[in-house]
Amino acid sequence: MSLTSPLFFAFLAGVILAYHISESVPYRRLVLGFGNAIFIASYLTDYIQILPLLAFLLLGYACVSILSVWKSSLALGLAVLGVLACYVFLKRFSFFDDLGRLPFPYLTIGLSYILFRILHIMVDVHSGDLEERIGPTAFFRYTCNFLCFVSGPIQRYQDFRAADGIAVVKLDADAVFRAFSRVVAGYAKFVIIAAVAEYAFSFLKPQLFQAGDPSFARLCMLYAAAASLYTVYLYYNFSGYMDIVLASGVLLGQTLPENFDRPFSARSFLEFWQRWHMTLSQWFKFYLFNPLVMLLMSCFPAPALTAYLGVFAFFVTFLVMGVWHGTTAVFVVYGLLMGAGASINKLWQVACAERLGKKRYRTMTETLGYVYFARGVTISYFVLALTCLWTPELSDFTRLIGRLGPAGMSAAFAGIAFAFGLFWWLADRVAPRLAAPAFLATARDSLVGRNLTLASQMMVIVAVTALLHKSPDFVYKAF
Amino acid sequence: MRYILRQTALTFASFALLYVLIGGLSYLVFPDPSHGGPRDFQVAERTLFMTVPKYVFLGRSVLDTPDSKVLIVGASNTAVGFIQKLIQPKLACAKVSNLAMGGANISEVAQVIDLVRETQSRPSAAPNTFVIGVWYGMFADSDIRFADPDRNRGESDLDIEKYRYGFYRRTANGPVAVLPSKWLDAGVMAIRPLLLVEKAAREARTGVNLLLTGRRSAQRTEVEREAAVMSEQDKKKALEYWQESMGFKSGISETQFNLLSSTVASLLDSGERVVLVDLPIPSWHRDASPYQLGYEQKLQELSGQFKERSNFISISMGDLDGNLDYSDEVHAKRHLANIWSERLAGILSSFACQEKTNKPKVSSRAPEQATAASSDH
Repeated sequence: MSLTSPLFFAFLAGVILAYHISESVPYRRLVLGFGNAIFIASYLTDYIQILPLLAFLLLGYACVSILSVWKSSLALGLAVLGVLACYVFLKRFSFFDDLGRLPFPYLTIGLSYILFRILHIMVDVHSGDLEERIGPTAFFRYTCNFLCFVSGPIQRYQDFRAADGIAVVKLDADAVFRAFSRVVAGYAKFVIIAAVAEYAFSFLKPQLFQAGDPSFARLCMLYAAAASLYTVYLYYNFSGYMDIVLASGVLLGQTLPENFDRPFSARSFLEFWQRWHMTLSQWFKFYLFNPLVMLLMSCFPAPALTAYLGVFAFFVTFLVMGVWHGTTAVFVVYGLLMGAGASINKLWQVACAERLGKKRYRTMTETLGYVYFARGVTISYFVLALTCLWTPELSDFTRLIGRLGPAGMSAAFAGIAFAFGLFWWLADRVAPRLAAPAFLATARDSLVGRNLTLASQMMVIVAVTALLHKSPDFVYKAF
Repeated sequence: MRYILRQTALTFASFALLYVLIGGLSYLVFPDPSHGGPRDFQVAERTLFMTVPKYVFLGRSVLDTPDSKVLIVGASNTAVGFIQKLIQPKLACAKVSNLAMGGANISEVAQVIDLVRETQSRPSAAPNTFVIGVWYGMFADSDIRFADPDRNRGESDLDIEKYRYGFYRRTANGPVAVLPSKWLDAGVMAIRPLLLVEKAAREARTGVNLLLTGRRSAQRTEVEREAAVMSEQDKKKALEYWQESMGFKSGISETQFNLLSSTVASLLDSGERVVLVDLPIPSWHRDASPYQLGYEQKLQELSGQFKERSNFISISMGDLDGNLDYSDEVHAKRHLANIWSERLAGILSSFACQEKTNKPKVSSRAPEQATAASSDH
């Protein structure tokens, strides 16, 4: 069920209406459960396609049940290994082709996010953070919540449970209007900004691979423009999707966690990942980075090494997070680039703090020049690393990088960093002056004004959707 | 629940109000055209419909009149080569429309013909004379021709228009009509607000182009086209382009030829007239292209197939192949387009304006020859 299809709207409206018909908690849970099942079924053309996903869920539930009675580290280790092996097999990673494949097409959408949720429950049950015995229907509602099924956000079970079919959903006119506005804003991001950026990107990308001998400057500019447009597309497509999901959650009494917090204003790569796909970063922090640092510190307890162990743990965490994004070899390169970015950033912080002292380092990071330089460099690095996502075949990736060469890559990096740094410098100066006059703000915020504003946005969305030759799709569902 | 229902009602009411307001505005800015019969679809840019495919798809109901009609279909060289305002004054008996579309292959030409006939009642279809302009570049399959990254592979510009406003739905077997053709005008009325917003967006983009580049669009003006001379490098690139665009190394698509044949047969069987025009290309292109010879042989076969039919004529303008008369490898410059148009008008005045007879028509190279050939019978 595509998010931009009228079918999704009808489905969402149906679920919201059905949910609010009664305040009975079992009834509401039943509605959510059925909603999830219908949503997943919309991706199927044959019942057999659901069987691997069902098997994966059953395995996960069995592991969780066992861990809730047998809380040993061995059991946890075996359960994690079993679930991961099943995931790797079903996800069809190209590195594990020798494992064989199931002889029929099946549903893989949502598999990654189900994995994160199952691992989280298993670890928390084992550690005692989650003491409640989870029933099969609650497990299904949590792991397959249709709002978060395709691409998150990754909600903790404890937070999900607190709002799972609750009898009283605190909504007032303002909250509902804000939710409607956010859905519309999400669609605006999705079908206007992201789709236009994708449209432009799709025309530039083939030119990078075309035969011929373009000039060095043209090639660099083409690459920088294509890579930047892809990043704009990815961000607005994903964050627009999240706006729709989170706002729909409000209408169903669910407070889903935010996934983006102005990532392009980040001043470092590590800060960037605290603002981009936040629930994924937090998941990796809790379930990979923290345990890894603890393990390393127990193996190498010298205090002088602590910072460097952190650097190593960052590298491993971001490497795994990068590799998770895809099933081909180029995603290993992406993982290495992510790992390198994070660990170099951490090393820089450690080195500066050692050389300048923490206070002087902090003062330096607050200077105007440093802020815009750091923003530009951070975004530029991320933009170039994302090349792996739009050249999913390693041969294409190496061909492109080979064509650009070190000089071309450096020029593109510098160009993007400069452009983004300049953009932020200008934005920070212009934005405060863009406030609407008081009388306009009053008119806009009145009941009629705000609803007409909402309707105008919808009108533009419908018109732009009609302009596009094909419906925009959600890019992150592929990861 | 009541807050959600209230907000839903407010949102829909606001949207409906805005929609009606913009719809009303669209009638003020672009009054509804009267159904005064055929018109020049090549001026789409000046209408609410903006592009030729959109104008043809949404505005074709004007062709549902009992008058005699000359309907010119083909690709961009037909669009620029047969100038409606030059042909119309020479044809008192029929109203002329040029429905040719840039980039069209035979499939898309067949779609145009189907769409026109779909909207016409039987008495309106009978006096149709379809002028089908062809050249080898139109015989590429849709999967090859329509493979831009911003569209679903194989979907023509007309397919896109069909799906755009939900008048058709996409199925594995192609577009299926959701809105019956008799409701076309009502459907167009319903989407007028969207058309106006789109038109405003396009005009804004044109304004930005004008501001940044001093031009309305990247397309060359008629004066620039008239002055253009192709370099050897341009010619090489053009040949490479068509090598990539045809999908075959030398031959042309059999499927497209069969489709042309069945389309012509269907028109002739229903009593409509068909003029098949073999459009010229510059001699350097004709001589260098690996597709031209196969195309000419196939076209001769096809013409031979229908030559005994009184409502069919095929003409060739192969003598108009001067290299300097073309602005690129395909498109006639304005001075040559004037000649194309006059030549076509001459043929049409003796073919489309005559009362229906059983006289068979044969192919000819020039109007004089065509006229002579027809009078021989």
